[in-house]
Amino acid sequence: MFEVSSEPLNPQRLMNFVRKDESGAVALFYGVVRNNNQGRRVQYLEYDAYPGMAVKKMREVAEEVRARWPITEMGMMHRMGRVEVGEAALLVAVSSPHRREAFEACQYAVDRVKEIVPIWKKEVGEGGEMWVEGHPVSPPETAAPSP
Amino acid sequence: MKIKVRLFAALHELLGQREVTLEVSEGATIDDLRDRLVEEHPVVRKFVPVLVWAVNEEYVPSEHRLRDGDEVALIPPISGG
Repeated sequence: MFEVSSEPLNPQRLMNFVRKDESGAVALFYGVVRNNNQGRRVQYLEYDAYPGMAVKKMREVAEEVRARWPITEMGMMHRMGRVEVGEAALLVAVSSPHRREAFEACQYAVDRVKEIVPIWKKEVGEGGEMWVEGHPVSPPETAAPSP
Repeated sequence: MKIKVRLFAALHELLGQREVTLEVSEGATIDDLRDRLVEEHPVVRKFVPVLVWAVNEEYVPSEHRLRDGDEVALIPPISGG
């Protein structure tokens, strides 16, 4: 389950999806909008996304995770549009037989989302609005060979 | 060939549109497309060093060769989560 949505995110739905009978642990990252950033009061965030590519890159992150940890299942949801303080912007859930893999894989996945998934946030609050200075994506060094 | 370039976040606001269409010759690369973009929209110039290009939903290097019908997008530094 990999989604970019304008609707409020439902953590229970995501956890129900990733939990399997062989899972002993489900780690959930519940990323919410806070009311301040770098000393500025934040009223709300406005997210823009490239939805098709964002979902594609989420799947890539999941492949990276599966190559590193023996997880059972995982999923991610990211919100688009206006998101109020206290509302969830990013959910990542990972299930695994034991807790350690779930915790590690979940943290890795959240870090990678912030590095490669094309989504942007604008802070609106004290002193106006500004796009958050983000993480520059590294393009591949050389072109992939043409088929 | 005509290439449509999708714009997001600050670039969308800067140009006031969700996409721009640029004319480049057959066999053009991302480098050529970037030059064309800056010619037609000089306001983008200062952002170019931090922009990455995506073709058909994949990040590509600047020597990537374009084909007619490619879906191209300009990706500013990302800030999801």
